[in-house]
Amino acid sequence: MLSEIFVEPFADMVAAPDFLMQVLWEGLVSGILYALIALGFVLIYRSSRIFNFAQGIMVVFAALTLVGLHEAGVPAWVSVVLTLGVMFVLAVVVERVVLRPLVGQPDIILFMATIGITLFLIGFGEIIFGGENKVMITQELGIPTDSVVFEPFGGLLILEQKDITAAGIAALLVIGLLLFLNKTRMGRAIRALGDDHQAAMSVGISLQTIWVLVWFIAGIIALVTGIAWGARAGVSFALEVIAYKALPVLMLGGLESISGAIVGGLMIGMLEKLFEIYWGQPLLGGNTETWFAFMLALVVLLFRPQGLFGERIIERV
Amino acid sequence: MRMTAKLLAAAVVAAVAGSTASAESIYAPNLSYRTGPFAATGIPLMNGQKDYIDMLNARDGGIGGVTVDFDECETGYSTEKGVECYEKTKGKAIVTQPWSTGITLQVLPKTNVDEIPILAPGYGFSPMADGKVFKWAFNAPSSYWDGASMILQYIDSQDGLKGKKIAFLHLDHPFGKEPLPFLEKKAAEQGFELVPIPVGLKEMQNQSAQWLQIRRERPDYVVMWGWGAMNAGAITEAVKTKFPMDHFIGVWWSGHDADLDLVGEEGKGYKSISWSFPELDAPVMADIKKYVVDPGNSQSNEKEMQGVFYGRGLVISMILAEGIKAAQDHFGTAAIDATQLRWGLENLDVTEERLAELGMTGMVPPFKTSCSDHTGHSGGWMLEWDGAKFVKVSDLLKPETDAIAALEVEKAKEYADANAPWPMNDDCN
Repeated sequence: MLSEIFVEPFADMVAAPDFLMQVLWEGLVSGILYALIALGFVLIYRSSRIFNFAQGIMVVFAALTLVGLHEAGVPAWVSVVLTLGVMFVLAVVVERVVLRPLVGQPDIILFMATIGITLFLIGFGEIIFGGENKVMITQELGIPTDSVVFEPFGGLLILEQKDITAAGIAALLVIGLLLFLNKTRMGRAIRALGDDHQAAMSVGISLQTIWVLVWFIAGIIALVTGIAWGARAGVSFALEVIAYKALPVLMLGGLESISGAIVGGLMIGMLEKLFEIYWGQPLLGGNTETWFAFMLALVVLLFRPQGLFGERIIERV
Repeated sequence: MRMTAKLLAAAVVAAVAGSTASAESIYAPNLSYRTGPFAATGIPLMNGQKDYIDMLNARDGGIGGVTVDFDECETGYSTEKGVECYEKTKGKAIVTQPWSTGITLQVLPKTNVDEIPILAPGYGFSPMADGKVFKWAFNAPSSYWDGASMILQYIDSQDGLKGKKIAFLHLDHPFGKEPLPFLEKKAAEQGFELVPIPVGLKEMQNQSAQWLQIRRERPDYVVMWGWGAMNAGAITEAVKTKFPMDHFIGVWWSGHDADLDLVGEEGKGYKSISWSFPELDAPVMADIKKYVVDPGNSQSNEKEMQGVFYGRGLVISMILAEGIKAAQDHFGTAAIDATQLRWGLENLDVTEERLAELGMTGMVPPFKTSCSDHTGHSGGWMLEWDGAKFVKVSDLLKPETDAIAALEVEKAKEYADANAPWPMNDDCN
């Protein structure tokens, strides 16, 4: 038994290094997508202390809007622009109709409001787009769909070009986001609001404008995530459940840290894949990905309750 | 006194009118799922079911002179909501159509008490075939064990089973696990290696780990028990990992045109066992168009109506309608109740001639139910994706009913013992 846990998995890794590389690549791709979803949560939490339960359905809604517009005859890249417009309108409506009337309410009320947004978007989306699985317009957007095949160590390593593209776009998005938050006035305003609402407002930062902005950025992230996930297995409301995969990422990386979301996402993506392949499937019958990330996050929380990158808050009473 | 007589007369008239009104329709609810992660597969099935009943109501004035009130209660494929829907509709229902193995298992004991037949065509708990134990449950025309048996026979006819390795990719849910007892038994008997590979609900669209395992195990065949978004996830991963599609076979719920549309030509060769087939030129399709689609009463569309799942929805409602008709004929009443429908479902005899009368030749194999056989074991055809649609690539395959019956009796007894005191149908010999 001890050999099955401590020796054989590593012997398997050494015996088939090409397979190990494939496992790591698949984990990396999953991790990037988890990180993207987690980023949407983090951004909104940093600026408003709202845990946005609607982030998952925003991914579905953005992807369905894109595909729906294209099905209606709109050219692919015009559909992207129009979808961004829809996500902006959604951000404005959420701020005006849901968040503004709830300013000053306890966090749990705002959290419940985002559950309401989720339920509304599910119903509204199903009325507009129907519940059928739709094909993502990958080729129309110019995303390559072929595979790149390598033969490392005489083995086989298959990299999907759309996964490589998704990884590249995600990296650009994160860099852009970091530059925006650190180098622009608006970005600094978002961070200031996250640190202290009252102080930020006292120096003229508009709560309403910032909330619209962060929900819009979360909408952009949702669209990118929706394209990347949708290219893998189609676009349907089933995509929403993927958002739950971001929860352990947030527990691990901390709710307020952008770097935490990225590192946490990549860590969980790769570790859960390694565990599933080398320990889960041979020893536990597989399907460990449903719980492994939560167990990992739980262990981290035992030692760092604020997550790996979260801020340690000391409250004196 | 005259006033009292008038009131009495009015009450009698009202009572008669009321009973006439209730005799004009029979209530047949459907626990549907047009929303949620499984909606993509549910919608065409529900549309087919509804259109067939709407066609009967419009063309024939219903069945035997009474219209069918086909009500949908939305479950989103959630077992909890399904049980709520069952409780909400059971009051006047003559049947319950639970539409999920999870919901079926939950309502199974309740139907004994409420005396409502469960109609679960091609799904639910395979031992429901044993009518001695499961008096109120019907899964005609084929059970999951029938499906597993037909798939194994097909593989055996192609490459032989002995010494082969078969990966069983399945949803980690009661539905996905349902054929395991039969497959395990056959693996031991026929000398092939079975590798069960579960897919969690949250992993349906990200099955890279499962397909890495398939790459490592190098199975000769992959047999899939998938549903909803899991099908699309698996088929796209199979294409991505360059698994030979002609060695990838799904159960009938994994043969949905829209899932294969995602990969198109690259999915060529993928197979699905099926007890239904869409015959676009069948007379029933013309009637559906004339009485439901043209008046604007269908929620379906032209493309969906050409698919396997829409056609299967029609067949499912046909089974219900035939059960109602059999009960009406036997009991000599149009407004049958749940107990009478139970008799009808237990005495289905869908022959080739009857299918021709219904305008459904080739859409389902003939089958017959009885007190001791609530499934009918119709058999099915192996369908293959040709890059644009599913086509039949086999003659009618029949399940090994002897092997299945023995296991049905064994597992039905286990179920009854585990849920004792369980009422048995002593009328069944």
